[in-house]
Amino acid sequence: MVPQTRTAERKPASAVLAPPRSAETPSTERFELIVDDYQRRLYGFALRMTGNREDAEEIVQDAFVRAFRALGKMTDEARRELRLQPWLYTITLNVTRNRLRSKRPTNVALDALADPDALLNNTQEGPEQPEAVVERGTDLELVERALLQLPMHLRAAATLRFIEGRSHPEIAEILDQPIGTVKSHVHRAVRILRRILGPQVGRIVTAEDSVNAV
Amino acid sequence: MRCSDVELLWDEMRSGIEPKSEHVLAHLRRCKTCQHAYEQNEGVAYCLTCLPIVEPPQHLVPKILDHIKSMRQHYRSGVADHLARIASPLGNLHVAWRDTGITFLGIARDEDDDAAVAIIEHRLSRPVRICEPPAWVTGAVRAFFTTWRADLERVDISELSPFERSALHKAAEIPPGEVRSYGWIARELGAPNAARAVGQVMARNPIALFFPCHRVVDSNGALHNYAYGIDVKARILALEGYVGSGAAASDPIGAKVRA
Repeated sequence: MVPQTRTAERKPASAVLAPPRSAETPSTERFELIVDDYQRRLYGFALRMTGNREDAEEIVQDAFVRAFRALGKMTDEARRELRLQPWLYTITLNVTRNRLRSKRPTNVALDALADPDALLNNTQEGPEQPEAVVERGTDLELVERALLQLPMHLRAAATLRFIEGRSHPEIAEILDQPIGTVKSHVHRAVRILRRILGPQVGRIVTAEDSVNAV
Repeated sequence: MRCSDVELLWDEMRSGIEPKSEHVLAHLRRCKTCQHAYEQNEGVAYCLTCLPIVEPPQHLVPKILDHIKSMRQHYRSGVADHLARIASPLGNLHVAWRDTGITFLGIARDEDDDAAVAIIEHRLSRPVRICEPPAWVTGAVRAFFTTWRADLERVDISELSPFERSALHKAAEIPPGEVRSYGWIARELGAPNAARAVGQVMARNPIALFFPCHRVVDSNGALHNYAYGIDVKARILALEGYVGSGAAASDPIGAKVRA
């Protein structure tokens, strides 16, 4: 399969980005449209947050079920005022948090800062080790793993900003944090990733550029 | 403009919303350090955008819709499990039950009611409603914490497969304060190669504690895993009087496990 890059996806995505569908009554048919519209986005987000397809699938399913229940309990007015997309991201993030909390912590961000090589050489296998979604041993696998090394709140900020392409105000809404905090989290995430990835960054940029040129 | 200011403005610059961009650019032209940091940041952002988009599995949407449809049907027909939060020596427990018995028992984290309901509905694939627990439910829970043995007449796992049921019942034969391996259960069930399958059943155990999956460990005595965290598993075992947790790698535990 030709490596599909986020940059390649951006154009169609913005075209698809219809104005947020108003939720109105949560009839099953209407909810079907919501599921259809947002499942890709939320799945991608959950996958990047967990590094695990099975987790991502369960998280998205849980998130939609929670959303459906919550919509059912809302007044018509609350439903009309609801901003569906950030709200769905927030639910997905909460489900992700609950789920990851029960798992062995995969966060070794501080160790990784002290010794980025330890991360790169980290071959410890086990059920909780995030599976690589991209091909093993590739540079992109390093990126994927580096992201998973970030503490949860920084990973969420970086994923929403750079992978999901959300704006600072949107992220602030999703995370329920002031914009200043979001900016500083994004910034800290990038700094840590810079240190973890080090010289790999330049190599990946060059390699991906040549792929895109072809 | 100072380097530290410039560095913080990088992300705004790239979205083209930074009003002072002229100043930033001027700074960048004369400061090699910031220039380098900028390039590196751009590189990291670029790397992240290069991660492939992974399509969700095709069955995801139908699965979600089926789930929601069956939830609605159950709601309409009024069939729901009841759910309560019950205090215990391990903190709050979530307990779900029907007339036929307890259908779910889990250790509560700090979920709010909605989250708890969602998690348990997802586990049971049925709607659940929060209500006051009847005496037989609280009694069963209280009794467990006195004897560390559950009254299995009080549980309903009829919706599980025969293999799942027998693996859970086998786990319930492990005396409190002792552990056995996944392989032990598999062999006892006459399926010596099914240790992994037993592991799966334990991982999905709907009625924690009553079916003591916390007493099931690796063949070398390591606690391996627990739905509520390995530290909770160690704590339950310690409360039951299991000696030998702690230094998971050392020999004494290995000796205690009938592998």
